[in-house]
Amino acid sequence: MNMAWKEMKKSKAKFIILGSIIFLVSFLTFIISGLANGLSQDNAALIKDLPKGHFYMNTEAKKTYNLSKIDPNLQDQTMKEHKNAAAFSIQMGFVNDAEDKQHTVAFVTSTDSPLFENVGPGEIVLDRSLEKDGIKIGDVLTNNQFSGEFKVVKFMDQKKYSHAPVAFINMDNYKEIYRTNEMQLMFIPGQDKAASITGLDSFSNNEFLNTISSYKAENMSLNMIIWFLIAISGMLFAIFFYMMNVQKIGLYGILKAIGVKTGTLFRMMWTQMILITLIALVISVALSQVFNMIAPEGMPFSLTLNATILLSVLFLVIGFVGATLSGLQIRKVEPLQAIQQGDM
Amino acid sequence: MTTFTIQDVTKTFTNGEVTEQVLNGINLSLHEGELTALVGASGSGKSTLLTIAAGLQRASDGKVQFDGNNMTAMTQEEIRKIRASKFGFVFQSAHLVPFLTVEDQLMLMLDVAESTMNKREQKEEVAKVLKLVEMDHRKHAFPSSLSGGEKQRVAIARAIIHKPKILFADEPTASLDSKRSKDVMTLIRDLTKTLHITTLMVTHDEEMLSYADRIITMKDGLIG
Repeated sequence: MNMAWKEMKKSKAKFIILGSIIFLVSFLTFIISGLANGLSQDNAALIKDLPKGHFYMNTEAKKTYNLSKIDPNLQDQTMKEHKNAAAFSIQMGFVNDAEDKQHTVAFVTSTDSPLFENVGPGEIVLDRSLEKDGIKIGDVLTNNQFSGEFKVVKFMDQKKYSHAPVAFINMDNYKEIYRTNEMQLMFIPGQDKAASITGLDSFSNNEFLNTISSYKAENMSLNMIIWFLIAISGMLFAIFFYMMNVQKIGLYGILKAIGVKTGTLFRMMWTQMILITLIALVISVALSQVFNMIAPEGMPFSLTLNATILLSVLFLVIGFVGATLSGLQIRKVEPLQAIQQGDM
Repeated sequence: MTTFTIQDVTKTFTNGEVTEQVLNGINLSLHEGELTALVGASGSGKSTLLTIAAGLQRASDGKVQFDGNNMTAMTQEEIRKIRASKFGFVFQSAHLVPFLTVEDQLMLMLDVAESTMNKREQKEEVAKVLKLVEMDHRKHAFPSSLSGGEKQRVAIARAIIHKPKILFADEPTASLDSKRSKDVMTLIRDLTKTLHITTLMVTHDEEMLSYADRIITMKDGLIG
């Protein structure tokens, strides 16, 4: 007999209240997770979309990539040893369109590696968000530090860095704008273990992302909120089932006296917890997808299937742990005590 | 035929440095189709004896034998199985499950007793037993809508639905008025006879003793 479902049907209000709270908490978690992921994409899609590998910057930069200057000889030697390596630089800057309107961009140098755009001198490849600002292929852009002009040859999706659209330019053009012959970074893809290169520090993709101060600060705060919400949902389950179990101690005692197994009582509680969580999660996921569609244009929101599944599983696990901890009192219930009490 | 025997059972409770001997060597045999009433003043040990006999607590010493098996040597799980399939319980309060209908209360008991009947047969059995206790017209009612007497009738139906060998009744009429008490006692006595159940009942209501086949008086932890 499904006692769990029968109790939920009889005590609808009680379970709807718990379900509503779990729904609100999980919905808020999905929204914040979508925003966190959206912001991190907006901040570092250029790096996040690269394959697994290692970044290198010079030791004196002390983990600050824009202070890094890799010796050209060391760079050439490393490039010879690692054929798929790419040396590049990232610098914030701006371009002016034909109407002299300024657009902030993150200049990234072109490389021969297929992982980065290969751009000829005087050409520029832009993130597609600039297309929405009215820039078209064939347009001519300028920069006050650059003597020539940039011709827009291509738009690319999801190439953002530090909340700015990326602009891939030729390495020679970059050297002219920033008056430097040294690249800031090298990237060697596909390494499980970083190569030891004298004078250079190595960073995995994640370690490198965390050297970007804005990325680390944003993600830490939002992830902290997400974890708090998950912990709160676990506590809600623990408190709710604790209160319910306290009310039902007498009933559990009688059920045990007539021969109901303790495991049956636990299964009843777990079934209720799983049903409530699943219903709350289905509504939360559906509404967060609706939010994804109607979110304002400028709001970076990206809730991936992986994040949705991970958070849903976490909610179920935390709910299970919370309910089980509060249910430990069921084991201690003595039938005799219940019999000596009055009616439930 | 004797189905249940209690031999030299003692029970001692220890609370800190205070030790209290509640049962002082009880010997008792229960017989099939017989309603045995345990009477005595408060603190005489009658409820303690009933709960030890029912496997709800263990004796400090002595033996409880049921169907030739020594219950005192059994594990908790073995005792639980006996409680679920061979014993029936009626308590002072009905103690019905508040979110189950009258019919579901009985279906639950069949599940607990691991009945081999299919669902249709179970429903037919439930209908038969509810008719026996004259509660068939309230099978879809929840406990909150039943009167005290009706609740106790359902509790009795739950106690006998799985055809127990022994029915333990702890002050089954204590929460009922005089008329309902008589109805409930008539029912327990009739079921004991027609279903050949062994019934052990604790009561302090002398009016109810007229329904018993045998009256055992307890005093200071001993059968008087």
